[in-house]
Amino acid sequence: MKVEAIEYGDRKVYSVGAFNRGVSSWLARLPTVWVEGEVTELRRSARWASVFFTLKDPQDGSCLGVSMARGQFDALRLELADGARVHVYGRPELYEARGEFRLRALSLERFGLGDHLAALERLKTKLAGEGLFAAERKRSLPLLPARIGLVTGNDAAAKRDVLTAITTRFPPANVLVAETYVQGPRAAGAVVDALRALCREGVDVVVVARGGGSFEDLLPFSDERLVRAVADCPVPVVSAVGHEQDTPLCDLAADVRASTPSVAGRLVVPDLAQLLERLGRARGGLERGTRRGLERERRRIDGAHERLGRAPRLLVERGRAKLEHSAGRLRALSPKATLERGYAIVRAEESIVRSGKALEPGERVEVELADGGFGARVEEIQ
Amino acid sequence: MTFEQAQRELEEIVQRLESGETPLNEALKLWERGEELYRFCKERLDAAEGKIEELASRAESASPDT
Repeated sequence: MKVEAIEYGDRKVYSVGAFNRGVSSWLARLPTVWVEGEVTELRRSARWASVFFTLKDPQDGSCLGVSMARGQFDALRLELADGARVHVYGRPELYEARGEFRLRALSLERFGLGDHLAALERLKTKLAGEGLFAAERKRSLPLLPARIGLVTGNDAAAKRDVLTAITTRFPPANVLVAETYVQGPRAAGAVVDALRALCREGVDVVVVARGGGSFEDLLPFSDERLVRAVADCPVPVVSAVGHEQDTPLCDLAADVRASTPSVAGRLVVPDLAQLLERLGRARGGLERGTRRGLERERRRIDGAHERLGRAPRLLVERGRAKLEHSAGRLRALSPKATLERGYAIVRAEESIVRSGKALEPGERVEVELADGGFGARVEEIQ
Repeated sequence: MTFEQAQRELEEIVQRLESGETPLNEALKLWERGEELYRFCKERLDAAEGKIEELASRAESASPDT
């Protein structure tokens, strides 16, 4: 189509219609492509030849108007709700009457659960390959955090569950709460910002909590930016997102995964009552142990002292007994005892007479008795 | 020293004391150390205030210019 300009001196000026027609014909040369986004603001009327909706980029919120022939749209029976992810096959078009740029859809497909799952699976494989979910990356939680960060939506349930669990178990807990979007296109970025803000404020541990929701509701928690932010968080992260079976990727990147927000709350604080009891017991043990040690030492010293006092007396008695034993043995060996029983010792010329044959009649002998003695002459030999 | 470290050391000391194998002068030293650890742990528990704050309101009060 030829676009005519009016000439004012050396200036070429186009009418609005001519300008639009010019842009329109230029746009028409662009190729037909697939565009992915979320459907919002769907407008359909029986009086209109086309249906209109806005296609929104879930990552950065960019918007694009889309039109599609009504008959074609209805024939697809897509029953699109706000937020549904779609692939649109179309080309850029200018609505000349209003100078509005939009995408003219030739075909439209719902980006289904299967596609989401496949995309998720690809991302999971990629991040796992980088080691983001590795067990050796997991940090243990501090036993007694000075301050706990909580990232949660402003829907009361998850937030209340975490806070109740924390303060029941550990009343003196300090918690810093960051409320953010937890679903929709802004959620992933908002959660990342909240995580960073909490870390800047200074927390020892972060809980990311979100109640259950549809698969699509929980998708932001599998967003690559969010998953990476959780893995890179300078303090340990406990993730309690959705229900047990959901397992968004942020659960895998977190240091600890909790099945519910309440469980997450219980995980990040110690049981104060138990802690105090344990401390008290330890202190009791400290006193008991020391006292027991002292008593054992005292008993040992007392015992030694007692033995010390007994020692000299024992020695004297032992000496006396020994002496008497020797004296008895000495007495037994002396001939005196034999003499006292009535025996006599006979000597002739100073030697003891043991046989009658050693004597002669008339020979003089000396007889020794127990008490004194006498001299005698041999009368006869027997 | 973290709370965990203090608590662990305290319980090790108690175990050693209760085993009754420690010489007296060492036992007295252990006891002193144990009391110190107990006070540390207790203070850490008592120091916590128990508050729940919202980040948004904190950010506002922290930077009134923005």
